[in-house]
Amino acid sequence: MRNWEAFVRSRLTLPGLTPERESRIVRELAAQLDDFYREARARGASEAEADAHACRQIGDWDRMAQDVWLADRPHARPRIDRLADRIEGAAETRRGGWKVMADLLRDMRYAVRQLAKAPGFTVVTVLTLALGIGATSAIFSVVNGVLLQPLPYPDPDGLVRVHEVVPQYGRFSVAPANFLDWRKQNSVFERIAAYAAGSTTLAGTEGPERVLNAAVSWDTFELLKVSPVLGRSFTEEEEMPGKANVIVLSQGAWQRRFGGDPSILGRTVNVSGAPATIVGVMPAGFYFPTRDAELWMPLTINPANPPRGAHFLGVLARRKPGISTDQAQAEMKTIAERLAVQYPASNANESAEVVLLHEQIVGAIRPALMTLFAAVVVVVLIACANVANLLLVRASVREKEIAIRAAIGAGRRRLVLQMLAESLVLSLAAGGLGLLLAYLAIPSIQTLSAGSIPRVLDVAIDLRVLAFAFITSLAVGIVFGLAPAWQVTRTTLGGVLKEGGRGSSSSGGRWLRSGLLILEVALSIVLLVGATLLLRSFARLTSVDPGFRPEGVLTFRIALPQPSYPQPHNRVAFYDTLLNKLEALPQVTSAGMVQAFPMRGDYSLSFAIQGRPPSKPGEGPSANHRVASPGYFATLGIPLLRGRTFTDRDSENAPMVAVIDEAFATRHFPNEDPIGRGLDIGNGTDGFYEIVGIVGNVHHEGLDSDPLPTMYVPYRQDIFSGMWLVARTNGDPAQLTSTVRQTVREIDPALPAFSISPLENVISDSVAQRRFSMLLLGVFALIALFLAAVGLYGVVAYTVSQRTQEIGVRMAIGADRSDVLKMVVGGGMKLALVGVVIGTAGALAVARLVAAMLFEVTPFDPTSYLLTAATLLTIAALACYVPARRAMRVDPVVALRQS
Amino acid sequence: MFSSELKKGSTEMLVLSLLEARPRHGYEIGKLIEARSGGRLKFALPTLYPTLLRLENRGWIKGRWVEKAGERERCFYRLTSEGRRMLADQRKTWKAYVAAVNEVMGG
Repeated sequence: MRNWEAFVRSRLTLPGLTPERESRIVRELAAQLDDFYREARARGASEAEADAHACRQIGDWDRMAQDVWLADRPHARPRIDRLADRIEGAAETRRGGWKVMADLLRDMRYAVRQLAKAPGFTVVTVLTLALGIGATSAIFSVVNGVLLQPLPYPDPDGLVRVHEVVPQYGRFSVAPANFLDWRKQNSVFERIAAYAAGSTTLAGTEGPERVLNAAVSWDTFELLKVSPVLGRSFTEEEEMPGKANVIVLSQGAWQRRFGGDPSILGRTVNVSGAPATIVGVMPAGFYFPTRDAELWMPLTINPANPPRGAHFLGVLARRKPGISTDQAQAEMKTIAERLAVQYPASNANESAEVVLLHEQIVGAIRPALMTLFAAVVVVVLIACANVANLLLVRASVREKEIAIRAAIGAGRRRLVLQMLAESLVLSLAAGGLGLLLAYLAIPSIQTLSAGSIPRVLDVAIDLRVLAFAFITSLAVGIVFGLAPAWQVTRTTLGGVLKEGGRGSSSSGGRWLRSGLLILEVALSIVLLVGATLLLRSFARLTSVDPGFRPEGVLTFRIALPQPSYPQPHNRVAFYDTLLNKLEALPQVTSAGMVQAFPMRGDYSLSFAIQGRPPSKPGEGPSANHRVASPGYFATLGIPLLRGRTFTDRDSENAPMVAVIDEAFATRHFPNEDPIGRGLDIGNGTDGFYEIVGIVGNVHHEGLDSDPLPTMYVPYRQDIFSGMWLVARTNGDPAQLTSTVRQTVREIDPALPAFSISPLENVISDSVAQRRFSMLLLGVFALIALFLAAVGLYGVVAYTVSQRTQEIGVRMAIGADRSDVLKMVVGGGMKLALVGVVIGTAGALAVARLVAAMLFEVTPFDPTSYLLTAATLLTIAALACYVPARRAMRVDPVVALRQS
Repeated sequence: MFSSELKKGSTEMLVLSLLEARPRHGYEIGKLIEARSGGRLKFALPTLYPTLLRLENRGWIKGRWVEKAGERERCFYRLTSEGRRMLADQRKTWKAYVAAVNEVMGG
């Protein structure tokens, strides 16, 4: 008779099932085939006939295998084991590394099973690590998007910015005449282009709108090596005044404002009151110089009379192949110094500087990002120390299991590998969860840092971030897995089994745990000190008096197009009307305007004081220059200190007057009365402005820099086409927005009001980057504090559980509860204290790294250090107290009976 | 005799009902179905065996290896209490279904 089991086994392949399951199925099928055979024999069939009858029962073995597998899926073996089998199969013919891989996979599966049995431990560990890895991946994705990703132009490494360097101010915008000379004289650049970013009014299908634009040299797109997807870029002739009535649209503008109309080329649109022909559309994803520029027009410079004293251009260039930045820098410097000699009146002492474009964009943010990145790495280290401690505790509880496995033949290497497998499973799970956290955090980071971190919209989870998270997880798994693995190698078989089964810890383990805890506390102190320093300087910064009262004020901009308002009196008439209408609104208590707004605009002019000897060219004093309406001071709440501010009588034909601020008076009239003195502003030929009043200082450059001397003149005597308007309301300024739009449209339907925002936002925007760094570092410090507290709690609680008997004995021989409390809390606090001391020393050593981010707080600010140490010790005491209470409740009788 | 489509829906119920009285082994179940239906219902091993596995994995029946005197060792399946509940359910549904079909067909 046939061996039916062998028969079934040779035909039925069930690779997906566990071996036990497979043999049960084989056995049963064999039994049934045997029944068929016996029945046939009983009916009188010959052996051969009966055998054939039984064999016929299963015709399609593959189908059978499939049906059995489907029915028996709950017993399917994990794929990972099948993979390990295959690798091991391959290993027999190849070298040893494969064997380790196969073992590791099996160990990881074993680890998963073990971890599933301890869900509390697993959840705490994975969450702890996920917090760390998530925070690191999030910050790395910012570092990656902002600092590491190349700029979105072909061959971005060749792109540089070229600046003028002015002795008083350092890097400076470029004057058109200088740019033309640079273009003509340099031999280091393939192309060099100038641009001026601004905004313009575009009359679209839905009325006039203010859009961001840039006037660019004709070959800017060629320089950036990006061609239009539709139409053409500019030609050289279009740079000539009068020929420049052409524009190129961004993809976004083409889609949004013109519905992606494919026949858009050649259409004429109204741009700032003048007709312009659309000649091209740029590809999606292209942006220059800012992400939201919607259209480009040729930058026109009159070659006959280019200005050399007005600095307003940005200059971009592409190095010739083989020319280094240093070589480019050297030549540009030579050219600039030659021009300085040639045109002493405007260019005296000037030089030029070449900076890589990428560096120019992100250089300023690099220190802050690197600080945050360092902080987040510290968080990961703390998480590692924490988890290593948890694993150590777990390993010592499992000493017996490990000893038994060693006894039945597992080598030391195998045991270490097994511990590592467990930590890798934990860290990889945490890595996955951490990536999810990072993904969820990115939009918040982008919102929080909008406008304060360049390129932050480029931040995304890409392959590099994925690789980073994976490698971090692996590294983290190995780092925190080493401690328990090390402890395993020290476990001696006899020792553990002799100890009667209760988990015990070698003194080495205890030292390791204490060391890790001290490290954790120390690292948390470093982070907390950093965060406290930033917090305190942010508090100082935001309590700086800006020099005006921002609450209840709405600000917006108006820019009058040259064609519709060609003459000063046209502009004055418009603004007179607008101010009157605004003041007539019931919600508005006062209104005013200025041409360059605090923290938003920047405008300074040189001047001379009547009766003083003239200064040398390029060395005369300069000051902030503000053109303001009479109501400006009252609306913003800038206090009048002496004399008077402007009135409606300070008109075009009235005597020219000026108001200065306190800083101006102190700097330029230290021992004199400035009232009545004359100022020649802009060193023009307009005559002298008579100083009629002194007002309070305003932080025009931002809260973190000292107020610069400022001079104000009445708007009717020096009108600008673009002005910032301010309206003080008796309610929520944001609710005035639509009324303001309507008011402007009533005067000129083709004119949009833009950049409408409450003044308080202007101030909070100006500190956005500091707030970003502070908040992030604060969050990291809190995570660190939390982790340290959990770690301390874990270690003390474990110690208490290990010492239950000892505590029982102590209480039995007369120790009272407060002694126990002292002993337990004291033990934990000793560790915390050592950590605090080491951490404080560490913080002192690295604090200068954040020095650049501080405001009026030194990196060694004693308050911050004391506050931090006190906070940490308080939290530590709490973390020790909870397990100590448990120790106090130990019943000596119960504890002693346990032994 | 009957199409496999028709039989498919009732295999599980037939197996469960045969196990109601006492535990039986796989071969016996196949033979019983054939015998009780007068040869009109026949389930081949490739259909019957996966059904047993499926029912066991659902916890409706439970197999045990038993060696009876003079016989070779076999796996006997018995109905679990959950299986018993399912059988009662299915029986009720089946009767209602047959009645409804009969109504429609005018049998």
